[in-house]
Amino acid sequence: MAPLVVRGRIWKFGDSIDNGNIDGVMEGVDPEFKNKVAPGDILVAGKFFGMGASDEHAPRFLKQAGIAAIGAESISNIYQRTLVNIGLPAMECPGISRLVEEGDEIEIDFTSGKVPNLRSGQIGSGDKLPEIALRILQQGGLIPYLKGQFASKETRSQV
Amino acid sequence: MGMTITEKIIARAAGKERVKVGDFVNAGVDKLYIKDLRFSKKEDAKGLYGVLLEVLQSMGTDRVWDAKRIITNLDEQPARTDRRAEGQDMARKFAREQQSILYEGAEGGIGHNVMVEHGHVKPGEFIVGADSHTCTYGALGSFATGIGFTETIGVLATGKIWLKVPPAIRFELTGKPGPCVVGKDIVLWAAGKIGYEGAINRTLEYTGPGINEVSIESRLTLCNMAVEMIAVNAIVPPDDRTVAYVREVSEGGFDILQSDPDAQYEQAYTVDLSKIEPQVAAPEYPANAHPVGDFRGMKIHQGFIGTCTNARIEDLRMAADILRGRKVQPGIRLIITPASFEAHRLAEKEGLLEIFRQADATVTSSECGLCVRPSLAAGEVCISSGNRNYRGRMGPKESSVFLSNAATVAASAVTGEITDPRELL
Ligand code: SF4
Repeated sequence: MAPLVVRGRIWKFGDSIDNGNIDGVMEGVDPEFKNKVAPGDILVAGKFFGMGASDEHAPRFLKQAGIAAIGAESISNIYQRTLVNIGLPAMECPGISRLVEEGDEIEIDFTSGKVPNLRSGQIGSGDKLPEIALRILQQGGLIPYLKGQFASKETRSQV
Repeated sequence: MGMTITEKIIARAAGKERVKVGDFVNAGVDKLYIKDLRFSKKEDAKGLYGVLLEVLQSMGTDRVWDAKRIITNLDEQPARTDRRAEGQDMARKFAREQQSILYEGAEGGIGHNVMVEHGHVKPGEFIVGADSHTCTYGALGSFATGIGFTETIGVLATGKIWLKVPPAIRFELTGKPGPCVVGKDIVLWAAGKIGYEGAINRTLEYTGPGINEVSIESRLTLCNMAVEMIAVNAIVPPDDRTVAYVREVSEGGFDILQSDPDAQYEQAYTVDLSKIEPQVAAPEYPANAHPVGDFRGMKIHQGFIGTCTNARIEDLRMAADILRGRKVQPGIRLIITPASFEAHRLAEKEGLLEIFRQADATVTSSECGLCVRPSLAAGEVCISSGNRNYRGRMGPKESSVFLSNAATVAASAVTGEITDPRELL
């Protein structure tokens, strides 16, 4: 289950990081990253995070590496849905690159869209996820969400 | 404030009066396309169908949401890798057990063309597909976008998907294209204009009086390459051509929606089609597009007319016009892979296949073919009618791919170097 308010240390990346770069835990940008990242860390990226191919290998790697949340200037639409669907919360936060420095501790509140930087005290904001995405995240991803949803005897039409 | 056609289709699918850019909606899907490869076990050890069956079981059923809205196609015939064969085996099992639609053999070809030719795409529909070039279907006035592995399972189980309403970029077409200028040249020009990433998370809408001069085949190319600009979808609002085509290939009615005159666009470009020349995109991005004349003298080893982008009957006719009475340069190979067996049959009937044979081109059966299968050696250069020229797309990373329309591929195969097809008309 992914918590909807995530607090952690950030790793900061630039613009236009595509699926190929993300594969192997950001291997295309920083081959050492997989040894540095710790469970609970937050990934901050620039514009167009996750553009390009949409297979789910690369985002699953991020999740396995323990990345707890992603905040980016902008995220490819399909990539954002994929991240949420595999249970990794990701929000578009215009201006976030200017707000944080490598190593800062921040919080991303996916329910309110608020992104406070705990070092500087500045508060950024993001494009809040829809209700459905929050419910999916609470269950840890779309597949557990679907299983739980129906196991609790709701009908298909209520999805 | 008015709505674009894309916003109207999304609103209807979401059961809302209206939507606006940036809204998240939960939409009902009209059709779901799945390509064979998605059934392989690459992304999950249980495979797509394995995970789906677990989800369905927890719902107390073993049936998908609506079998008649699910279309599967085998994009490679016959399968040539273990992974593909396994994917196809699962695709067939899925279609058999769920009684959904599956195309293969002489009914098939490349899925995106098969979808259109068999009447599964209609104006006003909200279509998703487990393949990135699903955006092709916007050519007939539908909303169509590619979706990922897990969300495909979600749609199979529930028929629903959540997504964000994209802002729109409008291309207003005027004038009439000159000889050897088709959809491919317009879309390469557009990619060159807005650049790689130019349409990320956006809709591309092709409209204006000039669209009347653009055939259905060419519109399919326009929308097919939207994903090369990382757009969510592309759309050509339906007109008389659309209606005539859809009536011919499908049964039943459909919704004719149009963008409102006061709909909002984030960017708008006007294009005089009479000024566009045949375009060629240099490696490694489709947005590296320039007029064909800029590449004069560039030596090639292989020409490829194929893929879901440009291997329809219009493309085969254009190629035949160039190849009639000529021969492919010795030492150069020209491979022609009609997009579907339907296009193959038409080409046969019109005598095009004979022209290709006489020209020493190789005609293959219909599938994705060289689009995803290596055919180049290191250092070799291919000019292709396809959509992607990324590094290593058709061979090792020391090989390269130029993109153009089918006539330019044919002309280049005749001379052995990149050639303006208008010189051979
Ligand atoms: S022809 Fe190429 S781009 Fe089109 S569906 Fe097949 S593999 Fe994908």
